[in-house]
Amino acid sequence: MNGMVRTLGRVVVEGIERLGRAGLFIFDVVRGTAELRSRFGLVVQQIYAVGVLTLLIILVSGLFVGMVLGLQGYNTLVKFGSANSLGLLVALSLVRELGPVVTALLFAGRAGSALTAEIGLMKATEQLAGMEMMAVNPITRVIAPRFIAGVVAMPLLAALFSAIGVLGGHLVGVGLLGVDAGPFWSQMQAGVDFYGDIMNGVIKSTVFGLVCSGIAVFEGYDAVPTSEGVARATNRTVVYSSLAVLGLDFVLTALTLGEV
Amino acid sequence: MNTSPSGSRDALVEIRNLRFSRGERLILNDLSLDIPRGTVTAIMGGSGSGKTTILNLIGGRIKPDTGQVLVDGISVPDLSTRELFELRKRMGMLFQTGALLTDLSVFENVAFPIREHTKLSETLLRKVVLMKLETVGLRGARDLMPSELSGGMARRVALARSIALEPMMIMYDEPFTGLDPISKGIIAKLIRELNRSLGITSIVISHDVPETCLISDYAYLLGDGHIIGQGTPAELQKSNSEYVRQFMDGLPDGPVPYEYPAGDYLQDLMEEAA
Repeated sequence: MNGMVRTLGRVVVEGIERLGRAGLFIFDVVRGTAELRSRFGLVVQQIYAVGVLTLLIILVSGLFVGMVLGLQGYNTLVKFGSANSLGLLVALSLVRELGPVVTALLFAGRAGSALTAEIGLMKATEQLAGMEMMAVNPITRVIAPRFIAGVVAMPLLAALFSAIGVLGGHLVGVGLLGVDAGPFWSQMQAGVDFYGDIMNGVIKSTVFGLVCSGIAVFEGYDAVPTSEGVARATNRTVVYSSLAVLGLDFVLTALTLGEV
Repeated sequence: MNTSPSGSRDALVEIRNLRFSRGERLILNDLSLDIPRGTVTAIMGGSGSGKTTILNLIGGRIKPDTGQVLVDGISVPDLSTRELFELRKRMGMLFQTGALLTDLSVFENVAFPIREHTKLSETLLRKVVLMKLETVGLRGARDLMPSELSGGMARRVALARSIALEPMMIMYDEPFTGLDPISKGIIAKLIRELNRSLGITSIVISHDVPETCLISDYAYLLGDGHIIGQGTPAELQKSNSEYVRQFMDGLPDGPVPYEYPAGDYLQDLMEEAA
């Protein structure tokens, strides 16, 4: 019993200590972003690495999610004679929820894990220590550009996910199931509010970008510099990011709807 | 034994009564040593004896529990991050793995510190980088990526990079480990030649006795967290100290025991598995 209490205490204290370390680290990274004006090229390079290279998985997933929404939505709406609202349902589901959330989950799996592994391996091969000894701050040179790239890329990827998802819904709803294209688009145009819906999605995906990128770079920087340590860190990035995205999604939805 | 080498009044690095521990484990205890300017000074000792820790303390990557670390008269543990980075511009360090940036070519690796700290034009930068690469005999490898280099070549590129800003000192962390005899010879020759031609101070951390003795002017032997032997390589070779003899001759047993401390062997065997 004593042993269990001791272990529990140790785990809690270590967890709090790690959280504190992560907070200080992110503070340093945010401070480091101030110096990125002279390193704009690095940010562009990283936007390519975490954004453009994630495009394929985002677009393919977005298309299929949109198509499934088209199918499921049609089957439900047609029972109430509201099949013409399919466009609105697909668009709102994607823009408010599925776009930001699924994009963030995919981002954590594809780009977040890659960021952690890359930074962790740079640490294990003494590249970060080498930079420090060359009087170059690795937080400014390596971490900050990757962090900012993630924050910038996430809303753009989420927007593309939603856009291609709407096309997927259109493909199934209008192309296969015979919903009229006119109401499909016009109800969407009338029902989707720029500030209430689209900006809601943009805010969500920006927050998810901050959280996923923050977790990914911290886990990489804090990784035990061995192959096992990097593997564990990569694993933690995906798990923590996914849990954080799903938890924050509820909080952000509650806040924007003002229902809770 | 914690005395300074004779005739080293002008020391670039001075370490005084230094104590450093990691958690419960005491790594360095009451360590004092001087690194004279313009010399190649070796710090030798077994694996895990705290040699690399000394380099990290000199470079300001870690802070001692107590004691002084002075580099060029500046107390390293007391420096702010900005001041530390200014000092590091005058230090070079060759890591055991080379620590080359894997996403940059050989040329860009050597150019890296110059680009970060100077505003040289591309024309001038190209000339400087090619000169540094020529110094280590790898001008022709400028377009290769680090993954295309052998261990010895990677270390030579890292050496070219560490002299890019023309430092006052270079710290070599196990420069001979994992290299074939030819590469070892090349690195040893480069350490000696760079020391002479650039007039820099070199600190070589190694457990490779023959190569290190060949190039060093003075050597410290580290054991149990402090200096247990020192002198010129010739003096160390003639030392009567048991520990020094064991290390220099590579004897399997001696003051450093062959066996890791354990309980009674018979009792251990007779005990039932827990």
